[in-house]
Amino acid sequence: MYRIWMVFDPRRTLIALFSFLGVLALTIHFILLSTDEYNWLVPSDQATAGAMVDVTPLPPGL
Amino acid sequence: MAQQDGPGSLSGLTDNEAKEFHKIFVSSFVLFTAVAAVAHILAWMWRPWGI
Repeated sequence: MYRIWMVFDPRRTLIALFSFLGVLALTIHFILLSTDEYNWLVPSDQATAGAMVDVTPLPPGL
Repeated sequence: MAQQDGPGSLSGLTDNEAKEFHKIFVSSFVLFTAVAAVAHILAWMWRPWGI
């Protein structure tokens, strides 16, 4: 199995692998952040509460 | 360019160099997989998906 590195250049392979894994990780994390359920920065109960909160206008003069 | 063992390879690595690199590559892969597995277990405990 190790003979694969006599065919594929390790440096290019590592660059390609890290680039692919980096793009894949970023994509997955951004997809999760775009959902209500799996956004860990704004939890879904907070997001729901935030969306449902009543906005009371301030009295004039404030 | 003379090589220590065997004829020249496509990547330019010798048999020993390929073995050495492969050892590091496999151990790094195992470590990465272990970290990813732990992360997925924690994520599943937080909010399981697909059920």
